[in-house]
Amino acid sequence: MTEIYPIGGGKGGVGKSFIAASLGTLIAQQGHNVVVIDLDLGASNLHTLLAMKNPKHGLNRYLDKTVKRLESEAVPTIIPNLFFISSLHCSMEVANLLHAHKLKIISAIQKLPFDYIFLDLGTGTNFNTLDFFLTSKEGILVGTPEPTSIENFFRFINAVYLRILKQTLKRAEFLSAVKDAVTEMSGPTAGTHDILKIVSKYHPDKVAHLKNKLREFEFKLILNQFRKNMDSSLGNQIETVCNRHFHSNFQFVGTIRYDEQIHDAVFSKTLYVQKYPHTQSSDDLKKIAEKITKNRKPIVLPKEIS
Amino acid sequence: MKYFEGLNYYEILKIPENSSFLEIKQAHRDAVSIYGEDSLATYSLFSTDEREIILKIIEAAFSTLMDGNKRAAYDKMLVDSGQSDTTFISNQSQKQSEPVFHPDKGSEDVPLAADATERIQTSEEKQLSDEILSKSSVSGNDLKKLREALGVEIHEIHSRTRISVSVLSAIEENRMEGLPPDVYLRNFLKLYAEVLQIDPLKIVDGYFKHISLIKHSD
Repeated sequence: MTEIYPIGGGKGGVGKSFIAASLGTLIAQQGHNVVVIDLDLGASNLHTLLAMKNPKHGLNRYLDKTVKRLESEAVPTIIPNLFFISSLHCSMEVANLLHAHKLKIISAIQKLPFDYIFLDLGTGTNFNTLDFFLTSKEGILVGTPEPTSIENFFRFINAVYLRILKQTLKRAEFLSAVKDAVTEMSGPTAGTHDILKIVSKYHPDKVAHLKNKLREFEFKLILNQFRKNMDSSLGNQIETVCNRHFHSNFQFVGTIRYDEQIHDAVFSKTLYVQKYPHTQSSDDLKKIAEKITKNRKPIVLPKEIS
Repeated sequence: MKYFEGLNYYEILKIPENSSFLEIKQAHRDAVSIYGEDSLATYSLFSTDEREIILKIIEAAFSTLMDGNKRAAYDKMLVDSGQSDTTFISNQSQKQSEPVFHPDKGSEDVPLAADATERIQTSEEKQLSDEILSKSSVSGNDLKKLREALGVEIHEIHSRTRISVSVLSAIEENRMEGLPPDVYLRNFLKLYAEVLQIDPLKIVDGYFKHISLIKHSD
């Protein structure tokens, strides 16, 4: 079965692409078939973190129908079993990524024949990022132990919730009064709680259904750039708080210690976990990778007779 | 945003229903560190009003569970309303004497979501208690240091053990003239150690060794 992990978290510079590249590498090294997809449309740089030259094509050839299947655009990387799909040449379309294109990408991703798929998402909470995040019922949220990052962390969860609720409310069985009320209250202050309140007024029987929709999601939390003097209980605290005060299931999967060499690796366009496999940060990443695969052994299929 | 809907006081503090006095105290401290104003984890999650509501609920949970009578009434309510079964009430008394700080227990294999007991074992206080337990003689100052590290006031020891504050102070200050006869002292030290959930045998032996050293040096 394929597991798809979009990697989001709101704030820029927290290391989403770095984590996508590292987890992709480590899980491929466990023997699983892995693809990492750059969906940071307009700001693609995952290829650099994977120590690759500028890819010549990628998603664009699937969207313009040069290739029929998205997996044809999955190119091998320097790591065996690890593949990469670029969106570098989609940057022209980013301003108005057609809704139809977005849906096409999402459904193609869901059909990709890999064991693990990691989606590297852009910064912020725009609709494209949120919709790509909702490609799967499981997602990874990345933050750093700084107030601004944690603030965006919660904001991102809220934005995901609102997106799920609004998508569900669009459906025919909801009164237009609810839809209007929800559209009207949209804006930075609208929250899940407010929407559920409106729904409970018009459709008291539907509240449980909506809550269940939110409950279906599982989020894994990672704290990156952790420094020595920081409070090591922070991750567990955030996990506790999220599980209590949001509706979904949250699992804190680990901190990644700060390492100057990560920057050096990025500058020299090398793959950190491959170049420095025995640093504390690589150790942290390995533990997280093991939590994600739950040490599941890769399934080795008998070779096809050609 | 959800608050604590459907959670009882034990669940709010994330402790088992047979938690000891010390575990409740620790859990309360943890809860305040999560929900307090300066908490990095939640400062951006709640408005001032929401935080106030949450902290009030936590304080209500804490003050109820710390008070023997209120706790018994609350437990009865949980059982009567079918939220809990009767077995835990009988477990509560057993839990009191169970030392958390034990010299040969390691803290390596404690899972992430540690329960209250494990949380205490993994904390910095664990280091201090290990240090104390590894000594052959235990001074009153050691006991005081551990008590303070655990955030327990001397009057709380008094209210749980009925040992007078003056004797407790004498124990902590190694004041020979203030100490009761050995047979009482032995029992007092045991009770003191039990409240702090540190191995009573080691404490009693260590403390007697310490005062005999003082006596010999005189």
